[in-house]
Amino acid sequence: MIRALSLMGQLGYGYNRDSFAKAIGEGIDFIGVDAGSIDSGPYFLGSGNMKANYDATLSDLEFPLIMALNKRIPFIIGSAGYAGSDTHLSKFMEIVEDIAKDNDLHFRVAVIHSELDKSVILDLLKEGKIASYEGNPSLSEDDIKSSTHIVVQIGVKRFIEALEKGAELIVGGRATDASIYAAYPLLKGCNPDLVWHMAKIIECGALCAKPASPSDALLGWVDDGAFYLKPPNETRRCTVDSAMAHTLYENTNPFIIEEPDGTLFLEDAKYEQFDEKTVKIYGAKWKEKERPTFKIEGAKRSGFRTIAIMGVRNPDMIAVFDDILDEVRQQAENRFGNGFTLNFRQYGKNGVLGSMEFDGNLHEIGLIVDVVADDQAFAHKVCSVVKSTLQHYDYKGRIATGANVAFPYSPAEIDVGEVYEFSVYHIVEEDLNNYFRLEEIEF
Amino acid sequence: MKLKEAVKVLRSKNAGVWHITIDIVFKNKDLYEKSKARLNRDYFCRLFNRKSLDYFECDGINTLKISFLRNTSAGSLNDVDCLGANFYIPLLGVEI
Repeated sequence: MIRALSLMGQLGYGYNRDSFAKAIGEGIDFIGVDAGSIDSGPYFLGSGNMKANYDATLSDLEFPLIMALNKRIPFIIGSAGYAGSDTHLSKFMEIVEDIAKDNDLHFRVAVIHSELDKSVILDLLKEGKIASYEGNPSLSEDDIKSSTHIVVQIGVKRFIEALEKGAELIVGGRATDASIYAAYPLLKGCNPDLVWHMAKIIECGALCAKPASPSDALLGWVDDGAFYLKPPNETRRCTVDSAMAHTLYENTNPFIIEEPDGTLFLEDAKYEQFDEKTVKIYGAKWKEKERPTFKIEGAKRSGFRTIAIMGVRNPDMIAVFDDILDEVRQQAENRFGNGFTLNFRQYGKNGVLGSMEFDGNLHEIGLIVDVVADDQAFAHKVCSVVKSTLQHYDYKGRIATGANVAFPYSPAEIDVGEVYEFSVYHIVEEDLNNYFRLEEIEF
Repeated sequence: MKLKEAVKVLRSKNAGVWHITIDIVFKNKDLYEKSKARLNRDYFCRLFNRKSLDYFECDGINTLKISFLRNTSAGSLNDVDCLGANFYIPLLGVEI
């Protein structure tokens, strides 16, 4: 039997010390934690900045790492530094180095790189080995060239290799969440059908327990015929519903989970309540791929943003608001030309659902004037002019000649800084494992 | 009866940066079967203004699931919801 501990849903959210101590007390074979995602948008991959800062990462990593080294169990991290580019990995490794120095720790680290050189991707594109992902727009040379970082979601192979080489801490670049948790049990010969299904659910920590939390731990163990999930925290439990619901989470297809090295089929999965806190699961099927496939992710800088926030409450103005915005946009284009993007976000009207909004009731609009341009000064200037045009716009029927809008802030213009967007999210149909450099470091 | 009264989980979320997926987990078999009989792929296409979408009936777990392409990638200049977490809202009041 192999026992895994998922420290929490994402490194940097803060973990529960009592749950961790309890899990260590019960005995575990390895600790895993996911440190990144693409959830928070393109900014982190594009800029190379970490989402959880130095302090948040250090405080979640330090004590569990010391305990793992004391107990001589591997500690496996995926998507280190949030987006897994070389910049993220080096920022993350500064923290690891500081922990080692501060605590006089000596251990072996394997860093698995996941950033790909653009020339490699351009060659793959020319060879026709890059496919669109479930119908998204196909990749162009320009998308690749304009990206600041392009990473691969690496699979389980390099993690297994790092364990075989005796790494006590694995700092993985961008990786599939399940790879973090599949490596150790697969190396120990556990049944891949069970390992992959467990790895897919456990990666979220106690997010799949009731009550759910991303900042608490989850225990999973695999034996011959099934795997089991249990939160160490006394106040939570895993139920059939909570585990099943999590298998659906963030997948387009409820029956299939794709990994670089294979596919997990969930149609025959069975979930049983084992005891009050524990769910027993079995029945999924893992099928190895003949040739691995990899998801690649890239982001590019789209400019610099300035926003202004204002409220609109006058019913006569709201009645003609779309016309006003069209006219203000036209005036901005006449004055400044085309070197900017202007977005009006109308909270209270269609700010959340956009073109899918179905409810026409409104009495108030929270407007964000959102300008993105090639440099910050120009974005600021356009935003400022659009803001003041709206403030004084003489719409038909206007009787309140003071100001048309309510500003909560002074100054009204807020410079947001660099803005990124995803430029690559595609599938490579080629074995890329040789590109994922495995760097061995000894402290 | 409205859909929101028939479910224990009703959520949407990004599945990658280009897709939204919506999970509709019903309270029990009866409500699931009743809803399944009234809803279908075309209905969801109209509701979400899509030409096509993936539609799954998960009998074993009393769940309907739909997935579709976003208008734009998550967090891009014209995106409205970076996490894709609000696209279940049009389903709340659906009569089943």
